[in-house]
Amino acid sequence: MIELLDPTVEATTQSVAFVPRPASLEGKRVALIENTKFNSDRLLQKIGEILKSEYGAAETRMWRKKNSSVPAHEEIIEEVCKTCDVVVAGVGD
Amino acid sequence: MPAALTSARHKVDDVAQAIEFCFEKGWSDGLPVIPPTEAGVRRMLDAAKLEPNHQVAYITHRAVAITAEKVAINALMAGCKPEYMPVVVAAVKGIGDPLWSYHGPGTSTGGAGVLMIVNGPIARELDVNAGDNLFGPGWRANLTIGRAVRLIMRNVCGSRPGILDRGTLGHPGKLSYVIAENEADSPWTPLHVERGFRPEQSTVTVMAANGPHQFYNQLSNTAEGVLTTLADDMRISGGVMGQPNYVVVLAGEHMHTIAADGWTKADIRRFLFEHTQSSHAHLKKTQRMSGALKPGDETQMRPLVESPDDILIVAAGGRAGAFSAYIPGWGSKRSSQAVTKVVGGE
Repeated sequence: MIELLDPTVEATTQSVAFVPRPASLEGKRVALIENTKFNSDRLLQKIGEILKSEYGAAETRMWRKKNSSVPAHEEIIEEVCKTCDVVVAGVGD
Repeated sequence: MPAALTSARHKVDDVAQAIEFCFEKGWSDGLPVIPPTEAGVRRMLDAAKLEPNHQVAYITHRAVAITAEKVAINALMAGCKPEYMPVVVAAVKGIGDPLWSYHGPGTSTGGAGVLMIVNGPIARELDVNAGDNLFGPGWRANLTIGRAVRLIMRNVCGSRPGILDRGTLGHPGKLSYVIAENEADSPWTPLHVERGFRPEQSTVTVMAANGPHQFYNQLSNTAEGVLTTLADDMRISGGVMGQPNYVVVLAGEHMHTIAADGWTKADIRRFLFEHTQSSHAHLKKTQRMSGALKPGDETQMRPLVESPDDILIVAAGGRAGAFSAYIPGWGSKRSSQAVTKVVGGE
């Protein structure tokens, strides 16, 4: 008999969302967070238009991260929390 | 009474079953691992003089603490000797450094390996290869130290290929990518001394990196001749536009040729910085730079790196053969930078 030690980290459950996921996008304000890669702004713009025309979102507003390999910086997150209801974070690759 | 190990435990019948069990659980990089038993893990921790719950690094982007216990388990699985532990610990601190910035190189489609360059007395003590077959097989320290770091990325940080490690191609260095500088034969200031450490200190420098590119020059007996070939090979390499760190590895023959002309590492860096620039016109014509051609593009130059200091020069490789190598860093220096950590001194 051999006893092995587990090399992985046992995840502790926690909620990381700022707000619960809404049931519908009707009337919601959508934040688009662009990762700076070529064409990612155009892709997100298109997605934003579809969310408005087909899903009834009220408005969209775009932010640009400092670079594609880091999380959105604090200023973006603070402002999105104040002014938007949902976020689309895109990787334009 | 030593502190308890808190990892979950799994019972198996024998060693053969243990190895298969590790495969089934997804804990392996594809090669068999050494079964991680408590006795083995204790030997690893003792060698590093670390308590199991000591936090070696915290990966902010993953919200994961890498404890000494997890480092020890994965290092044992990788086949490390206990005395390798301080080097593994230093490398883990390196990839946990905000300047290395884990999320990008750990995840990116760009498929970065973790290049580790060992400097100082520990390289000789542990027999970390700095000579023949530098990137190839044959040296336990080179193969297992890098493997340990990759297993930690996989098992602790969740960087599993196809899930949170989305490398499009990856490269063989993602299994292990460890070299030492040949300080015994090098005429130059060692890398760690250039980066602010004392010669008698031991360090590990980690850089998120593409694979090594070998170049050949058997014609020239001057520094400028050899480096002209190197610069021409380097000019269009890596992401071209990203301006990452680079490592240049100069092996025996080239090292002696360049040093015989009296060139220092700083001279080499300056020469390479000046001779690896591309015109905006070329970058646009070859679809690497966006935008239409405009007047002046033929003469406006873009450097391969932001500054000469972004090129790390390392003396290593076999004594015979007119070959050396350059290694483009992953992405850009804005996204990840080479980081040097001292070994020991916990």
